[in-house]
Amino acid sequence: MSEPMGRGGAWTEERGTSDEGRHHLEAAQAASGKHGTSDEGRHRLEAPQRRAGDAAAAAELRRRIASQFGRSLHVRTLDTGSCAACEQEIRLLAAPHYDLHRLGFFFTPAPRHADLLLVTGPMLRAFAAAAGKTYDAMPAPKIVVATGACALGGVYQPDAFCYGSAGEVLPVDVWIPGCPPSPLALLHGLLVAVDRLAERVAGLSFTVGGTS
Amino acid sequence: MTTLKPATAGLLPAVVTRAGNAAGPVAVTEVAAAELDVVTAELAQHPGARLADLFATGADPVILRVVWALDRDQLYLVTETEVEGPRYPALSDIAPAAFAEECEIYEQFGIRPAGGKPLNRVAMPPQPDIKLPTLGHAPAEPPRDVHAPHLVGGQAFEFPFGPVRQVGVESLYYGLVTSGEELVDLYLFTWHKHRGVEWRAQGQTPRQALFHIERVEGLGAIGNSCAFAAAAEAALGLEPAPEALLTRAIALELERLYNHAAAIAALCQACGLAVGRAAAEIALEQLLRLNAAVLGHRYLFGVVEIGGARTAPDLGRLRAGLPAAYGELRRAGDALLSTNSLLDRLEATGTVTLEEARRLGLVGPVARASGIAADARADHPSGAYAALAPVVATQTAGDALARMRVMLAEAAESVRLIETLAADATGMPVGTAAKNGGPRSGLGWSESSRGESLAWVELDAAGRISRARLRPAAVRNWRGFDDACRSQNVFTDIPIIEASFWLTVAGTAR
Repeated sequence: MSEPMGRGGAWTEERGTSDEGRHHLEAAQAASGKHGTSDEGRHRLEAPQRRAGDAAAAAELRRRIASQFGRSLHVRTLDTGSCAACEQEIRLLAAPHYDLHRLGFFFTPAPRHADLLLVTGPMLRAFAAAAGKTYDAMPAPKIVVATGACALGGVYQPDAFCYGSAGEVLPVDVWIPGCPPSPLALLHGLLVAVDRLAERVAGLSFTVGGTS
Repeated sequence: MTTLKPATAGLLPAVVTRAGNAAGPVAVTEVAAAELDVVTAELAQHPGARLADLFATGADPVILRVVWALDRDQLYLVTETEVEGPRYPALSDIAPAAFAEECEIYEQFGIRPAGGKPLNRVAMPPQPDIKLPTLGHAPAEPPRDVHAPHLVGGQAFEFPFGPVRQVGVESLYYGLVTSGEELVDLYLFTWHKHRGVEWRAQGQTPRQALFHIERVEGLGAIGNSCAFAAAAEAALGLEPAPEALLTRAIALELERLYNHAAAIAALCQACGLAVGRAAAEIALEQLLRLNAAVLGHRYLFGVVEIGGARTAPDLGRLRAGLPAAYGELRRAGDALLSTNSLLDRLEATGTVTLEEARRLGLVGPVARASGIAADARADHPSGAYAALAPVVATQTAGDALARMRVMLAEAAESVRLIETLAADATGMPVGTAAKNGGPRSGLGWSESSRGESLAWVELDAAGRISRARLRPAAVRNWRGFDDACRSQNVFTDIPIIEASFWLTVAGTAR
């Protein structure tokens, strides 16, 4: 509990390294805003060359998940004071339009099975203890994805009620903007997170001395 | 708004009738502290009266306000009482609906109902190192922590569940008291989600406060912001343009449509019906995309503005997209209503009787499924609804199936209303109304997808908020949830009951 609480520095440390991811996310966000979610947006996605690109990307992602995580990556969610809109978008990831299972992602209610934590909300002070316990209960390597404007620090200022962003309490690896982030933005964020988790796995030591 | 004063015991029903006939949709009357219990008892006996809200303002003295919805008189009656000292008459002994608010007032203002009944923890977290600011004087003693004894009569035990639960649901702590399978008792903690939105609004202009008020519950952004904007407009004396009121009404009905689709998807998920869930989620996703195409945001944030609307609907896209999106929902609903395994699962699950719904002042689809035909759009028409006469769908069984039937009927009615509203709208953006000086306090309401949402706004001389009271429908209806769960249900019924109520924790832990 005390360990993740003390990792406020992760905010600045990780922010630089995930810039690339943020760039992709912002593009995704722009695409899934007013125009991307309209019929025009859907037609654009369904154009043949786009579909071929998607298929290739999906195949590559499946390969990566298969090699690193034995064909599955389990996602858990943590609401630290959200308005329930982020939760609705997360539920829609499993809906037919998005269907994240086809990519090898699965939701799990059990922290012991979770590889990735999707954190929503402005991290209320009354919730920080539960958030720390939830994080501690996950086995390493694990990754934290701050989801939505509240978790990124864009809605509530730090004050007596809340820390104001997920990064103040948990070591956040990937940030997904949007209020709420659309399911497409969430998918892009999960893809960025897969890369970050792969780096972690590659850096893990499998010997007692930690030399290899 | 009319100020009637002073009301005395015995005269109030006559005052109500006079105000309803002559004075518009809201009347405010002063009641002396010594007479508050008598007046409350009289109003509780008034036909069609419902205690809609109870809240306090200020310190030394605290002003206690009770909002009565007199649904048959098309009137909201607000009683104002100055409370000197730490106690006021116990209103929940007369109208049980007031109990949650009595607990809240104790936490925020430090005054308590007479009689010494224990007051539960609502919004203040129990951790001693977390000190949250209050709206008035903090209570002298901390509120009571609800905990069932570990063993009840040697048979039942407490099963704690939460606050972190399954994927994609809000944090909520369930204290389940069970003998193994049957639910003996249940209590909920929501203090870990209390964000102090009413406290944050103090000192802001209504326009600034709207940002957080939309985010009180993201799935009720329009319902709550319409109520808050109406209250602020009453306080400021603003009259929004009819075109802006049409935009708000269209947005409110779109919000109702997607929420009912989401509730039906959640019901199917709770029942393990994957095909039904997928069908409802296809409708839901199409409705959310329609929202984005028509009003610029999937959850309709940024539509309402104090004095008008910030955007105008794209009517072409609305007309083009609505029939297909609603068609998906109707197809899913028709299929589900002929799926016997689902109907068997929903029937007699989570029953709320008419009497319980009345006693607890429940609102929205939950109340209508129990036979109460209350709907703020019909009973207290305002804005664009004055000319609409919406048909109120009711059922009598009060179970999860009745709630699903009410939601499906309301979705059909929402489509009819949107078509009528769109016929009158031009789709052209209009400016917001200019300020012309108002009474500096006002009541606002709307019928959100979860039921009547209320707001009260008080402004200081500079036009900044000195007190904003928000009462989303979730505050009322979570109180019926405990009773629904207790009535002859087992563990596996709880997700179904929760989906059929379709409330948000965020709305009650605002």
